[in-house]
Amino acid sequence: MPNLFILTLQLALVLAVCRAVGWLFQKIGQPKVVGEMFAGIALGPSLLGWIAPHAAAYLFPPSSLGFLNALSQVGVVVFMFLVGLGINPKELQKEGHAAVLTSHVSITAPFVLAAFLSLYLYPRLSDDSVHFTSFALFMGAAMSITAFPVLARILDERNMLGSRLGTVAIACAAVDDVTGWCILAYIVVLIRAQHSSTSIWWTIGGILVFGLAMIHGVRRLLRGFERVYRAKGAISENLMALMLLLVLASSLFTEYLGIHLLFGAFLMGAIMPKEQKFVRYVLDRFETITITLLLPLFFAFTGLRTNIAAVKGPEMWMYCGLIILVATMGKLGGSTLAAWLSGMPLREAAGLGTLMNTRGLMELVILNIGLDIGVISPTLFSMMVMMALCTTFMTTPALALICPNHVLQGSADKAEAERVGAASMHLQNGEGAAA
Amino acid sequence: MSTTNRRFIIAYILLVGVPLLGLGGVLKAGRHLRAPISIDGTWKVETRANHAAAQPCDQAIASLLNSSLVVSQSGKALELTLNGTSKTTVAAELDGSELRASVGARAGCSAEQPVMLMASIDPKAEPKSLTGSFSVANCASCSPLEFRAVRQVKVQSGGEH
Repeated sequence: MPNLFILTLQLALVLAVCRAVGWLFQKIGQPKVVGEMFAGIALGPSLLGWIAPHAAAYLFPPSSLGFLNALSQVGVVVFMFLVGLGINPKELQKEGHAAVLTSHVSITAPFVLAAFLSLYLYPRLSDDSVHFTSFALFMGAAMSITAFPVLARILDERNMLGSRLGTVAIACAAVDDVTGWCILAYIVVLIRAQHSSTSIWWTIGGILVFGLAMIHGVRRLLRGFERVYRAKGAISENLMALMLLLVLASSLFTEYLGIHLLFGAFLMGAIMPKEQKFVRYVLDRFETITITLLLPLFFAFTGLRTNIAAVKGPEMWMYCGLIILVATMGKLGGSTLAAWLSGMPLREAAGLGTLMNTRGLMELVILNIGLDIGVISPTLFSMMVMMALCTTFMTTPALALICPNHVLQGSADKAEAERVGAASMHLQNGEGAAA
Repeated sequence: MSTTNRRFIIAYILLVGVPLLGLGGVLKAGRHLRAPISIDGTWKVETRANHAAAQPCDQAIASLLNSSLVVSQSGKALELTLNGTSKTTVAAELDGSELRASVGARAGCSAEQPVMLMASIDPKAEPKSLTGSFSVANCASCSPLEFRAVRQVKVQSGGEH
């Protein structure tokens, strides 16, 4: 039985601290979610446990953490559904070659660099219960992820969602996330297969059948939600409950297949209808409680597992610095280079690279899975959390430096002019042909 | 094929295809790497019953260990939680199959008499076992506390996430 007093106290504390720090971060021009991530870390052994160990032991006794974790995981399941819901594959098709090349390079560059770094880190920060392949692939997936939701928030706050830079960034982040999660699913299967009597081929076969059934079967049925929304302008509570039930069923199925609950939630979101108003409506229904209460619990739970004090001595800090450097070089450098080679002006390309380097919450979700399945050690987890915080924190100031608003406005006007020019040319050609 | 398409394909091969080949090479090279022995988890401890507690420092050693020892591992760096009468957390280092830690001075021992932990792991035993002792440095009359620990079966926690 949970100690309800302690659990309620934890909820109140996490909520208050996350709101306060989120507000403070907004004052310095950072997205609120970045502040909430820092607040979560502050509630753990890295700050609260360090300055007030007795208070930390009272507020977060080990026996209470299971309930806190369970609540936070419910939040992450719903959140992953919302992330999948926000992803629209058609965005990528609209952006053409530039987005395809940039998104693929923004995955391969950090992935390969992380694998090279693993050659150095594996004998130093891992142990023989983890195979090198699993370790390197996990590091690759963790470094190549982009925080799609944080990125969308930053673009929205800077009025960049409609710009060319914004649309390419959103398209690339969507591809990165889908690819990253597919790789992670493979790693989870690989690691769980070592501890399970079920054949890995059985699991992979099951996942393929499930994926195909979802994409080609269930997706058609889901259009019914959109039809109801279009006809009535709203979705009844019963239908919302059914939608949630489908998310939970999909999550349970992927967990049963040996991957993870979160993959099912993400996939269900990804195959939902993508009509803009419908997506906004569903997001509005689910976001409030998830983002206000449940996600801060996840930040706090992550913070309770992160111990910056475990990164001791110059050697460990050097490993941490290397991780941050390689992650930034791979993501920022790789995306910038690919975007520039695709014809984007250098400044805009660097802006895109900076945006792609945002890892945020998605990184924390992946790292928690890595720690749970034992592919990374607690110290490496703490280092990677610091990398996530660092790369997410640097995005807004770096973007303001590289792409000030007047530069973006100029490039947006130019892009708009090109689009109008191309459209009128197309119209003239069409009319000519008709004549 | 248009020039744009040709340029795209060349850029794609150079920026995506070649690095992926490199990734294959790295994964192959990494298979030969050796990481430290895995010893993290909870260990069930048995101390030798006939430990002589003649010196006050001996009693301090005896109170260090009870029935379990928790090891948190990051490569060669370890953190040991000794579940004795008072919970003590110490940093330790793993060198091959040898484990070393300085527990520091304990109540009853003088500052010049730090308690040391030395143990060796039998990597082939299943479940893994650890044999070692706590001893007091610079104390000829103190008797070491010998112990044997067996690792408890690790529960794969992936499912609880």
